[in-house]
Amino acid sequence: MKRLIILLMLLLPIVAMAQSGLYKSYASRQNLTVAQVSGFKLNESERVDVVIIVADDDATWQQLSKELNIMGENGSVSWLGDIDKPAQRVKWSSTPVLRVVASPTRRTIAFYRINTESQYDALLDYQLNNMKQAK
Amino acid sequence: MTENEFDMLWQRAEAEGYGKRLAAEYPLWRQKQRRVVSMVTALLIVVTVAMSLFTTQLHHSRNYEKVYCNRVGTTDAQWASLAAEMLLE
Repeated sequence: MKRLIILLMLLLPIVAMAQSGLYKSYASRQNLTVAQVSGFKLNESERVDVVIIVADDDATWQQLSKELNIMGENGSVSWLGDIDKPAQRVKWSSTPVLRVVASPTRRTIAFYRINTESQYDALLDYQLNNMKQAK
Repeated sequence: MTENEFDMLWQRAEAEGYGKRLAAEYPLWRQKQRRVVSMVTALLIVVTVAMSLFTTQLHHSRNYEKVYCNRVGTTDAQWASLAAEMLLE
């Protein structure tokens, strides 16, 4: 019986996939719909985790915009954000960063966690290729 | 020998008999229990490996692995689709 309990204790952390700190920090807030898409596929070899926040109303969006220093009313904005402080704009480095895309018209913000240079390249390729196809 | 003495003797004999039976059957019972635990452990390992293989294959066929959401109402595929659309904003 002890062996079974030990095995279950070993298996549980493997089975239960973790939610990111970013997801947890927004998921408990009111008037926000928050989702974490783990392993979002960019190409055959690269996947990233994405946290998406949707504000339920304009007031919540205004509050969110203020927190993340999002200027402008209509056009979407994007930046590279610090992994712990997404509002803080950073330049690309080898450390993990967040690619943040905010769309005021959708009242939505998406955070793409980039851990490696190849993930960053794949993300840019994904944007380029899909924009070409969209045209 | 009184009737009471006989009853006491009978009870003692019965208790000793059970004791012997238990002593004889205990190792078998332990063996059987160990076998069941081993089988359940092996089954758990097989199921876990099979599940991980299955989910790996499933992940490769989808553009996402897992979705968490603090509310119901939107499907996992819709969230993955929104993640893709936001990149094209």
